[in-house]
Amino acid sequence: MLEALQVFLFDYTFRTVALGAAALGAVAGALGCFAVLRRQSLLGDAIAHAALPGIGLAFLLTGSRATPVLVLGAALAGWIGTLAVMGIVRGARLPEDTALGIVLSVFFGFGLVILTFVQRLPLASQAGLETFLWGQAATLMAADVQMIIIVGAGALALLALFWKEFKVLSFDGAFAASLGMPVRRVEFLLTSLLVVAIVLGLQTVGVVLMSALVVAPAAAARQWVDSLGLMVLLAAALGALAGVVGVGFSSAGSGIPTGPVIVLVASAIVGISLLAAPGRGLLAELVRQRRVGRRIRADAVLADLYALAMQHEDRRYGHPVATLRTMRHGEVGIERSLETLAEQGWARELKPGSWGLTPEGEKRARTRFLDQDAEHP
Amino acid sequence: MSGLDFEIQLLAVVVSVACALPGVFLVLRRMALLSDAISHSILLGIVLAFFWVQDLNSPILILAAAATGLLMVAMVEALHATRRVKEDAAIALVFPALFSLAVLLISRYAGNVHLDVDAVLLGEIAFAPFRRLEVAGHDLGPRSLWTMGGILALNLLFMLAFYKELKVSTFDAGLAAAMGFSPVLIQYAFMGLVSVTAVGAFDAVGSILVVALMIAPPASARLLTDRLPLMIGLSALLAAISAISGFWIARGLDASIAGSMATAAGLVFLLSMLLAPDRGVVASLLRRRRQKVSFARLMLTIHLLNHENSPAAPEENRLGHLSVHLRWSPEFARQVADRAERDGLLDRGEGDRLHLTPLGREAARHFMAR
Amino acid sequence: MAGPEAAASVPGGGPAIEVNDLTVAYREQPVLWDIDLEVRPGALTAIVGPNGAGKTTLIQSILGLVRPAAGRIRILDRPIRDARGEVAYVPQRGTVDWDFPTSVLDVVLMGTYREVGWFRRPGRAERIRAVAALEKVGMEAYQDRQIRQLSGGQQQRVFLARALVQEARIYLMDEPFQGVDARTETAIVEVLRELRDRGDTVVAVHHALQTVPEYFDDVVILNVRRIASGPVSEVFTEENLRVAYGGRVPFLHAVSDAPVADLPES
Repeated sequence: MLEALQVFLFDYTFRTVALGAAALGAVAGALGCFAVLRRQSLLGDAIAHAALPGIGLAFLLTGSRATPVLVLGAALAGWIGTLAVMGIVRGARLPEDTALGIVLSVFFGFGLVILTFVQRLPLASQAGLETFLWGQAATLMAADVQMIIIVGAGALALLALFWKEFKVLSFDGAFAASLGMPVRRVEFLLTSLLVVAIVLGLQTVGVVLMSALVVAPAAAARQWVDSLGLMVLLAAALGALAGVVGVGFSSAGSGIPTGPVIVLVASAIVGISLLAAPGRGLLAELVRQRRVGRRIRADAVLADLYALAMQHEDRRYGHPVATLRTMRHGEVGIERSLETLAEQGWARELKPGSWGLTPEGEKRARTRFLDQDAEHP
Repeated sequence: MSGLDFEIQLLAVVVSVACALPGVFLVLRRMALLSDAISHSILLGIVLAFFWVQDLNSPILILAAAATGLLMVAMVEALHATRRVKEDAAIALVFPALFSLAVLLISRYAGNVHLDVDAVLLGEIAFAPFRRLEVAGHDLGPRSLWTMGGILALNLLFMLAFYKELKVSTFDAGLAAAMGFSPVLIQYAFMGLVSVTAVGAFDAVGSILVVALMIAPPASARLLTDRLPLMIGLSALLAAISAISGFWIARGLDASIAGSMATAAGLVFLLSMLLAPDRGVVASLLRRRRQKVSFARLMLTIHLLNHENSPAAPEENRLGHLSVHLRWSPEFARQVADRAERDGLLDRGEGDRLHLTPLGREAARHFMAR
Repeated sequence: MAGPEAAASVPGGGPAIEVNDLTVAYREQPVLWDIDLEVRPGALTAIVGPNGAGKTTLIQSILGLVRPAAGRIRILDRPIRDARGEVAYVPQRGTVDWDFPTSVLDVVLMGTYREVGWFRRPGRAERIRAVAALEKVGMEAYQDRQIRQLSGGQQQRVFLARALVQEARIYLMDEPFQGVDARTETAIVEVLRELRDRGDTVVAVHHALQTVPEYFDDVVILNVRRIASGPVSEVFTEENLRVAYGGRVPFLHAVSDAPVADLPES
């Protein structure tokens, strides 16, 4: 453990790689928010897969395996993939999911053809293009990290610059157009930034799984916050976290591809967020539902007590718990409901096992149930 | 052509057709991307079952894989039902997680076994003929040919047996429920079928290219016909064509067969998209050009009709005025007016004034009432 | 903002919106046929017609969101691209995702984005105006609420506030009364009358025929082509509605009982 910490803090190579993973996680997380909000989560998958032939062709045409060259090829191919999706939807009038499926799989298949083709070249034994399939953070060089940081910062700067345009476009495109905004061009820019975010991560996370790093941090962040600005910041932070932790795990065991590890970490973050986030979280929802259920059950017992009190001369007469239980058809948890009523000061245990309404309880019952009756005769 | 080549092609055709059949309904039900999600998720089932039985040929693997496919569908639906994420995001969250887990397990614990990470993506159709099925010393051909043939038969049987139910639940889920069969049950049975098919095909072409085989041929067929039985037949045919041409592309380039099959399926789709007789891009462009003038001619008669009796008629119903109000170029306006005059819809008066003929008036009324 | 006399003035005293020979088609399928229309300034105008009549398309064409096959549209005697600042749009409430992570005030501030311009953010002055717009629709107490917590009527009022903050002279609304509670309906009508009384023009797609005479001054009856348009008292007749709705007129009796509506078309 201590050793791991030492590596984490002082190992130069690891620090470089972790920095790169954090940067690309942040960029993917931030821009992923717009993909998720615009229901384009699966477009990211198509872009990532479509990038593969671009990587192969960039290598074949230039003979260079410098990361910027390959990333440029990936970006171009990813863009062509996006255009192909739009072209199929508009030109062939097929549903979008079909278009995405075709582009994703056919571009990827074509990419594999090119990869096997590349592998037959003599110099290709060192090409190492396969790392783009599953991602291998260990192959990140200082120069690669620099590129990720510079390009990523550029993308985020554009995001900040066109913030309100992106926001209104994502929320209400027709209204944005009515303001005279060049919606097509703004959309083009936003999608381009998504392409950039995706291709920056391909070397580390791989084409197969990169889309998960775009979607997961955004989906997780959405559970915690309710404003777009906070969502983007939190998604960036969570994306960076997934990147760093994923790289840490993957470098702990040699030869483990980084992509799957990062995706699992990001998925765990989503799981935790869905469960534990205050407000939107499922646990919070459960607590809320139970509280509502408890109140409804307590109200029912309050109504019973009121009905019983009406039948007696002495309004403060105590009624045994057993009677109340019979009135609720033997329902368990009558005691719990009575406690709730006692906490509110609406009922009191007059003698052991015998309960009656307090004056406040009677007033409450009258306003609550009689008024309701008046509304729905 | 060697026997080996023949066996590979036969297998490629069987795999492609087996994938294309359920693919038809995936495309029609707008669930194309569930094939992607399923084909990724099944890997986890395969891996876990393999750890258990330690045999890559065990039928348990297929069952476990199909079960994970269904599990994934159920997880996506459950996640969507929480209303915390949209459906597309739910899909994009669930299957990468299951797939990543599977890949990690493979790279960690099964590195030396037959199951390796590259095979997951590429499939091994080229090696399939080397794994033979032998019964009592007789060679019955490649083992995967039998598996896939069985799956193809299963798909055919299912679609024949439940054709009506599939059709109705695809086009009208409410009607299906009213007719007494549960769309949910059909849905899950169908997803199970897709999962089983994906497992079988996975061996041959890997988990991503399965999607190309399932989606591209039915999408191409969709562009060629509006009739379901014909669409199913065409999907199978185009799948077979993609498979065989993919094989020969791979031969020619000395490249991955599975990748080439996906590429060929993509090319077939591209050709359909461009050249389909009615819905194709070329046909649409030609039709639009043809219709532009005839549509404009109609527009002109309706315009004349609407203004015939208004006080502004002498002003409105002049050739020169059309470019102002209808925003037509003067040449286009003249072209349209010529055409309408030739068709007997209008007469030209002095000062370029346009009058509807009784026929033109009739036509305009008819089209406006639609 | 300008006073009423300034707001009402249109160069030459012409119409607020002028539509000439507008034809819109989607894939050679006409949605609107040769529409001629003049919208009176300083009036509340309803657009009515059956489903698929092209009501939304007409609004969107006026806004320049749809490319017409032919025709000409002028707003305050200008083409739409020169009149953007004078026009506010209230889309149908159902067209947006109300789970979007944003607050009520934020949505209203979107109405200021055009004048704020590129690369800048709305500031204090815009915020004050946005709150004032929320006050007009009775929603100022909700300004920090998340929009997903709003009821349908509240959502509609937020959309109206977003249009008010644009301080336009022409308001184009798509079904502003769709699925809202009675309180919201009254509140919206009040705001619309206030707008009219200071000289602004409101055009709204409207579904409930029985409230047309009560809420609106003018009406456009549409079904792919323009059946009739003009003051409600003149053109909102059973005969015109029958032409538009093909005999099956909802609430026809209510309409024919209304004293204003049984004049024959002149």
